[in-house]
Amino acid sequence: MRRRSTAARWGLAVSTALIAVFVLAPIYWMVATSFMTPAAVSASPPQLFPSPVSVENYLIAFVDHGFGRYILNSVVVSIAATVLVLVLGTLAGYALARLGMRGTFTIMVMLLVLSVFPLIALIAPLYLLMRSVGWLNSYQALIVPYTALNLPFGIWILRNYFLGVPQEVEENARLDGASAVRTLWSVVLPMALPGLFTAGIFAFTACWTEFLMALSFNSADQFRTIPVGIALFGNAHITPYGAIFAASAVAVVPIAILVLVFRRSVVSGLTSGAVKG
Amino acid sequence: MTGQDTAIRPRASRAGTRTPAPRRADALRRGLARLGWGFSAPGLLVIAAVTVFPVVFSLVLSFSNVNVLGSGFQLDGFTLGNYTTIFTASIWQYALAFTVGYTVITVAVELVLGTLIALVLERLEIFRGWMMAILLIPWSLITVISATLWDYIYDPTNGIADAIFQALGLGSPVILGTPASAIVAMMVADVWKTTPFVAIIVLAGLVMLPRDVYEAAEMDGCTGWQTFWKITLPLLRPTIALAVLFRVLQAFGVFDLPFVLTQGGPQNATTSLAILGYQAMFSDLKFGAGAAVATTTAALVVVGCLLFLRVFKAQVTETEQ
Repeated sequence: MRRRSTAARWGLAVSTALIAVFVLAPIYWMVATSFMTPAAVSASPPQLFPSPVSVENYLIAFVDHGFGRYILNSVVVSIAATVLVLVLGTLAGYALARLGMRGTFTIMVMLLVLSVFPLIALIAPLYLLMRSVGWLNSYQALIVPYTALNLPFGIWILRNYFLGVPQEVEENARLDGASAVRTLWSVVLPMALPGLFTAGIFAFTACWTEFLMALSFNSADQFRTIPVGIALFGNAHITPYGAIFAASAVAVVPIAILVLVFRRSVVSGLTSGAVKG
Repeated sequence: MTGQDTAIRPRASRAGTRTPAPRRADALRRGLARLGWGFSAPGLLVIAAVTVFPVVFSLVLSFSNVNVLGSGFQLDGFTLGNYTTIFTASIWQYALAFTVGYTVITVAVELVLGTLIALVLERLEIFRGWMMAILLIPWSLITVISATLWDYIYDPTNGIADAIFQALGLGSPVILGTPASAIVAMMVADVWKTTPFVAIIVLAGLVMLPRDVYEAAEMDGCTGWQTFWKITLPLLRPTIALAVLFRVLQAFGVFDLPFVLTQGGPQNATTSLAILGYQAMFSDLKFGAGAAVATTTAALVVVGCLLFLRVFKAQVTETEQ
């Protein structure tokens, strides 16, 4: 449609390449370093390519430091919280979209306010509370707060998608004698599937990356999640970068795949889902 | 109330025509609302338990003498001491100034860079999907990992930054060792991780802009520069406002990055409000003072948000009229 000069086209190509390098260079260096020998990791000046390629850092991270345990913890906590967000968020989002309760607007505004609340303000009371009931260093110490903190956004997203499902479809189901639960499950939910993807991927990413609560509530070695495990890796004097990057590379893979596969859901969640509010 | 009105009324009236007596429609509606409360209750209760209750409790803590005992804690009476302590402490004043300055500078830089990136990608005819995917990588990266990565980049002996400085003949500065360079280094790490997020939001806004306005501008002979300032930027205002709001909220609570990269140092130069509150609570076990830091931070965020939304709403209605 728009015709461009050769110079403009070259400018565009160069700028695009620069952006890609700006974003990818640090990631490349992380992965490259993870495959270097420990001696090469601490070489000065730094090496740009792993030669020889070595998996020793991976062995240090997973065999010596038991990093697999942190990954398992992150997986358990993130999946449990995401499932809870989707189940509770679907029920609440559908109710707030369709079932006509009084005070729907007030609830939606309250949810928005709660979702901007800085986490640091919740740490002290939650820590003291969990200490009193003996929840420190347990899976539920993270699953419950993660569910609660990601629910407001989940409810917002899902409600928006439910509002987009044509009313007639639901009414027909109801006239056919389907209960509200059945209507939601077999008629509305399949049509709002993209909403579930968006809400799910946001909840999962938030749980996977959260640090402050995981550090405050679950610092015991067997309950550390990936971010806590990496932050408290090694000791105060020597940072074992090679092993950390090996662990990081493994931690990055699942979330990167998830985000790349569902990138449309992510982008729509970053933009339309939030803007409509 | 708009959401409720549009969602409920048409259905209610239609249901009225289909059922024989209006009373039955009424009963149906009330039944559905009851069901709605049943559906929402579990989610709303979990949210309330983890947010509303702690917020109240945090206020109580901040006005109390808190004694941490072996397995629990004790509140000894009302006091304003926590607030007077933090307000008069130079470290709190510094942390507040640092957090505000850090937020303003990083968000401004990210906004400019993010908009530039979005403008480039919007012109792409191929590879746009791939570029979007690349931009999502830093967004989805665990902040602790990116902080460790930058720590390695800034390493005085093995770091690539040091190698670059030496190659440029700028010597070998200890980047994280002096306050000013540590602050800049931390900002660079933040800009790298979150500029792509801003770019994605702005790009999505750009793509949705109406084409015909641009064609009209082209026919009127506007230069690219004029088009950008007079058309693109004003139309993008809601999108940019959203990106700014998200980023300001996040930057104001900055914790993970300084915790890993600088531990708040050197000489407390990168102590943000969240770092200060965390240290008060978990290093010094001063839960009262920590809660006071946290409560004032939260109050600032909420007031800031309300002001922002008010100004933004006024602007939007102004442009719509």
